[in-house]
Amino acid sequence: MKKRLLASFAIFALAAGSMVAASTTATAAGTRTVTVWSPYKGGNLELWNAAIKRIEAANPGLKVTSVGSIDMAKSLAAINAGNGPDISVSNGAGNLGWFCGSGAWQNLNTLIAGKNGLNVKSTFSAAAVNSTISNNVRCALPLNSEVFAFFWNKDLLAKAGFKAAPKTTTELLEASKALTTFNADGSIKTAGFVPWAGYYGFDMDSMWLGQMFGAKWYAGDRSSAFASDPKWAKAFAWQKDFIAKVYGGGNFDKGSKALTKFVASRGGEWGTDHDFMTGRVAMKWDANWMAPMFCTGDDWSMADKCTAKVNFGIAGFPTSPDNTSAFGSGVVGEAQMGISKGSKNVKDAWIVMKGLATDTKLASAWDAANGAPSTLLSKDARPAKYPDWYQPIYDVAANPKSAYHAMKNTGEHQEEALLQNLMASWQAGDTPNLKSALADLAQKVNQIISRNS
Amino acid sequence: MSQTRVNASAPFKKKGALAPPRKSLKVPRLFIFLCLSPWLFGIIFFTAYPMVTSFYQSFTKFNLIDSPEWVGLENFNRMFFEDDDFWISLKNTIWISAVSIPLRICFAIFTAWVLTKPKRGKNLYRTIFFLPSMVPAVAGTMVFTYIFNPAYGPINKILEKIGIDEPPFWFLDPKWSKWGLILLGLWGIGDTMIIFLAGLLDVPKSLYEAAELEGATGWQSFRYITLPLMTPVIFFSTVTGVIGSFQYFTQAFVAAGQVNDYSHSMYFYATHIYHSAFKAYEMGYASALAWFLLVITLLCTLVILKTQKRWVHYPNGSLFK
Repeated sequence: MKKRLLASFAIFALAAGSMVAASTTATAAGTRTVTVWSPYKGGNLELWNAAIKRIEAANPGLKVTSVGSIDMAKSLAAINAGNGPDISVSNGAGNLGWFCGSGAWQNLNTLIAGKNGLNVKSTFSAAAVNSTISNNVRCALPLNSEVFAFFWNKDLLAKAGFKAAPKTTTELLEASKALTTFNADGSIKTAGFVPWAGYYGFDMDSMWLGQMFGAKWYAGDRSSAFASDPKWAKAFAWQKDFIAKVYGGGNFDKGSKALTKFVASRGGEWGTDHDFMTGRVAMKWDANWMAPMFCTGDDWSMADKCTAKVNFGIAGFPTSPDNTSAFGSGVVGEAQMGISKGSKNVKDAWIVMKGLATDTKLASAWDAANGAPSTLLSKDARPAKYPDWYQPIYDVAANPKSAYHAMKNTGEHQEEALLQNLMASWQAGDTPNLKSALADLAQKVNQIISRNS
Repeated sequence: MSQTRVNASAPFKKKGALAPPRKSLKVPRLFIFLCLSPWLFGIIFFTAYPMVTSFYQSFTKFNLIDSPEWVGLENFNRMFFEDDDFWISLKNTIWISAVSIPLRICFAIFTAWVLTKPKRGKNLYRTIFFLPSMVPAVAGTMVFTYIFNPAYGPINKILEKIGIDEPPFWFLDPKWSKWGLILLGLWGIGDTMIIFLAGLLDVPKSLYEAAELEGATGWQSFRYITLPLMTPVIFFSTVTGVIGSFQYFTQAFVAAGQVNDYSHSMYFYATHIYHSAFKAYEMGYASALAWFLLVITLLCTLVILKTQKRWVHYPNGSLFK
């Protein structure tokens, strides 16, 4: 037993010694090392690592250590402890204000403007350019997009006499009225459109509602615009009116109760019993990554021809009458990456990050595999071949009015969560005074920002 | 070895007589320390260190990225005078404590009493009643949100069948959501019930027989025999119930996640700590909230301990005299 223990210890010591020796040799030979942590795994990690190999080949002496399956929570903990990676990747746009504001990701303005810089505006889509900046500090570069657009059931709309997707909120209300049917007991059988916080919305319904009305999240002085921009009040008033007219025969409480029950009995999100696939709802807000499922049923692949029961189209969000110039746009966010606070090799980290963000091969391969449009403007960043039904996603992604909301340092999606709560309370009839509720909300957001600054 | 052997032939020592000096076991101190080390490691690194750190952090602003910044009593000032969610969560927590603890105790006594009655199959019934308490909290909550779903859940279907036209929306309705949680708690009463059952079985039958001879009714037997003898168990359940209810989290968190709890009707104190720490990333503030929780739990427990002399009946005297 003792001998075994000693032997194990000797092997461990040898292994540890050789690791130390290896790292010392690498440093001695002048290799520059950059560490990249990403949430990717499987096929996506392979594509990611292939791009990293291309960067290494183009930059002799640069060694990139790529570690997959690490989400931002883990990266943040490591950054805080002082042993984080040089580059970390966040799989979404919502927390940029926090990463920038707290300094977890470094300010890239100098690197972008430097000798080996990057013309951001001519490289990336407008939405990506805007959503990688917070308080005039650009601290991230974008990767592949996620596009939130308007999905409509072509067959159901045609049957009701509509040949195209509604372009305005007024048309949306009319189409919904025509498409909504009721059971004998007064409950909703099929719905046209459901403007409801919590209906398959990934907690983003309020953001989408705001986009339809062109509502601003922050004013020029960096304070919350929930109270100062009258478009928020207009958007919520429209929602209430919609619920009353379409689902309550003019009675809001009746409509709200009917929708509560309808939403509670929705089909599962990830499969063929999704309400949109069964025809229970005819039109909805949704994400580009749901499109392959709507197309093929359970098989999440970018098929040339859709085989699922629902014959759907994709368009930009319908817009309010005073925001028609934004028709064709949607909410567009993206995966983002930044150089961590405490990185000891910022110069090389920038080379790697710029290489990854502008790699058209990575972008097109990623898009072909997942249906995740690149943020790059270059045509090479698109797959050589993609199905026709997916084209509108590219159109929404490229629309100059498409955007994620402006972001400040509010922690993890704080302002989104607060707005979503207000929308839910409003739709349930539990917020009697919208104006004061919006003012309270703005005050809360401003308090959070002031605490975090 | 022979030094520690007991002399079996020695006479029993008289009351009050001094015990003969014992020779201590010669166990090396290092060995004792090694045996204790897993516990010591745990208490130092996983309890004492985090407690000291969080106490310090409760006076700081700390976002996990930058170093903690000393802010004095600002976190506590914010808690009491600026944070609406603090008051909402505290109110909800007090509500759930005040309603669920008495209900759980009454229901547990009743269930335990019922389970003393069957002549046959006692163990089977007891197992059946105990089983729900073994279901993981997350799974139990998911099942409850399903069966209480207003659209397709069986509970509302039954209520409609028996003539209730508009049954509650349960977890979807802020006015009813906490009652849904209360019912969930009563369903998993098994752990409390088993303690009461043990207590009931411990009551000497002779007391009931004597009472019967004296002409006492069933209620009088319960009021003057069962209840006083059960007070130590009620006391124990109250103390553990108060501590547990102030930390109420999993069921509420899961249920609120299943529905859209916009009104924060299922937003409890522990949820507020979680939210502040892991959503808002305000570790300093979350630490202040956690320390306040410790203080109020301690105060409530002390109050119950103080009052126990008045209402807890220990047949052999109290441990807390």
